[in-house]
Amino acid sequence: MNLHSIVLKDISRRKTKLIVAVLGVVVAAAALVAVVTTFTAATESLYEESNTFGANIVVKPETRSIPLVAGSTSAGSLFTGENYIEESEIPRIYTIENKANLAVVAPRLYGIAELGNSPVVVMGVDPEEEMKLKAWWNIRGHWMAEEGPEKTEIMVGSDIAGPMGLEEGSLVTLKQGDVYIDARIAGVIESTGGNEDGYVILPLAASQYLFGKEGKVSSLEIRALCNDCPVEEMSRQIMEVFPGLEARPMSQIVQNEMTMIEHAQSSAMAVSVIILLVSALTVASTMLASINEKIKEIGIMRAVGASDTQIVSMLFLEGAIIGALGGILGFFIGTGASFIAAPLTVSVTPSPIWMILPAVSGICILTGMAASLVPARKALGIDPAEVLRSV
Amino acid sequence: MSEGPEKLIRVKDVAKGYRIGSHEVEVLHGINLEVREREFISIMGQSGSGKTTLMNLIGMLDRPDSGRILFNDVDITGKTQKELVEFRRRTVGFVFQQFHLIPSLTAYENVAMPLVFAGDKDHDAVASALERVGLAHRMDHKPVELSGGEQQRVAIARAIVMKPKILLADEPTGALDAATGLRIISLLKSLSGDMTVVMVTHNRELASYSDRIVHIQDGNIAE
Repeated sequence: MNLHSIVLKDISRRKTKLIVAVLGVVVAAAALVAVVTTFTAATESLYEESNTFGANIVVKPETRSIPLVAGSTSAGSLFTGENYIEESEIPRIYTIENKANLAVVAPRLYGIAELGNSPVVVMGVDPEEEMKLKAWWNIRGHWMAEEGPEKTEIMVGSDIAGPMGLEEGSLVTLKQGDVYIDARIAGVIESTGGNEDGYVILPLAASQYLFGKEGKVSSLEIRALCNDCPVEEMSRQIMEVFPGLEARPMSQIVQNEMTMIEHAQSSAMAVSVIILLVSALTVASTMLASINEKIKEIGIMRAVGASDTQIVSMLFLEGAIIGALGGILGFFIGTGASFIAAPLTVSVTPSPIWMILPAVSGICILTGMAASLVPARKALGIDPAEVLRSV
Repeated sequence: MSEGPEKLIRVKDVAKGYRIGSHEVEVLHGINLEVREREFISIMGQSGSGKTTLMNLIGMLDRPDSGRILFNDVDITGKTQKELVEFRRRTVGFVFQQFHLIPSLTAYENVAMPLVFAGDKDHDAVASALERVGLAHRMDHKPVELSGGEQQRVAIARAIVMKPKILLADEPTGALDAATGLRIISLLKSLSGDMTVVMVTHNRELASYSDRIVHIQDGNIAE
């Protein structure tokens, strides 16, 4: 027998008190784990969603603008320089140092063509890459499939489909000069509020055929995939590989992502701290009530030779055991709760975060021990002569 | 009273009072008492006469307000709290009226408790102590499974497991029937062959089994 077994036997005898104290920790630990698990899942989901927002580096041919001034009045600008990127050059982008972070490289070719008798903006894309970049688009119908330059599938934005009465399966003809493309509408993009609402989107090869720009693209939209993308650095690396091109980081998107994640983390931390304090108070009050019941036993132990250190050690051990039990149970209950709450509150399905189990248990053990401080102080004030005389 | 090496305990001019509300009540007024080695004495007196207070002072569960208590000619009233813990562990055994066993522990574990607190790893003394009180066969039982007399015998085993010099028993038969009480007194009498026994009681018949009876009246010795 040792001090540990005395404590274990004592708390196993006081099952109701033990359950109340452990429940206090369980509630706190479960809430803590649920918050962390849910927010982590939400943050990851947020990050994944943010990846679907679009490109965060845009590569275009370098152009220079010359301001046109008539007297003291500005008359716009004149742009000079090559307006296209050679499609054959695109693979060279995979030679940059951060090539592992290149998740999507989507070439685009822009031009204006006639649909019916109306001029429309046409965007040629690589359907496979574009689908990754615009995974969040809602399509009535399906993504287009390339069938050939003269007969192909296309997609249209809602601002074009509505007025022109186009829908999935409609057959249209695109005309640019003497070139015609017969196309079937694979899908209508539901309004995004973006430029694509007014675009006709067709496969890159078909657009190149339509505009007579075989082997050429207007721009590259690049999605870099990483938590803290060095987009500025990646842009610099791209410009090194393509001296005549201009790579612009769309840092605002990245900044917004980070801000959202930081806000989520801050909220989780604030809630966690409050819950921990509540937990400590719960355990302290339960243990204090327990001390009141144990005054006689503590008096006996002191009479038969227990030192102050031994009495305090036993109380700390009791607090630690309550904390450990509460922490472990709370982890599983909190994880279970997050599986129910997260889909309802943040529309994500979380995964158990096993790596926080030791941390949660450790925090709960420390909380239990900290909660033992006040009861320990009270126990040290117990006068065995007085206690044993009055019972 | 003569002084000599056989005097184990000497209580000299000890006074002790308690604060009750705003009033200071002196319970003992300059008590003097000497107890020899292996002597079995009974302290008798009416309720509130100060007999339990005197016993607690001898066992250093409490400190006197004035006066000195000498153990083997060494003044123990000035010892530090840590020294007193060690003194109680090694020198004094306590037996209480209400037994005061830990309910969650078996008889064996209750008896072993002083050894655990003293850091002694050798628990052979537990079985010996239980055997001495005739309860070796009940060592795995918890207090609730034992009769009142058996519980008090376990408490006595716990008190003697460290082989103390002094056994202090406060109304050890107060919660027992007469027959069981006599068995306990008989046990204490036999233990006094190895140690000094100081028993507080208000039962004259039980006190008559001791070597000497000390009467306390209004905080003074009236031997």
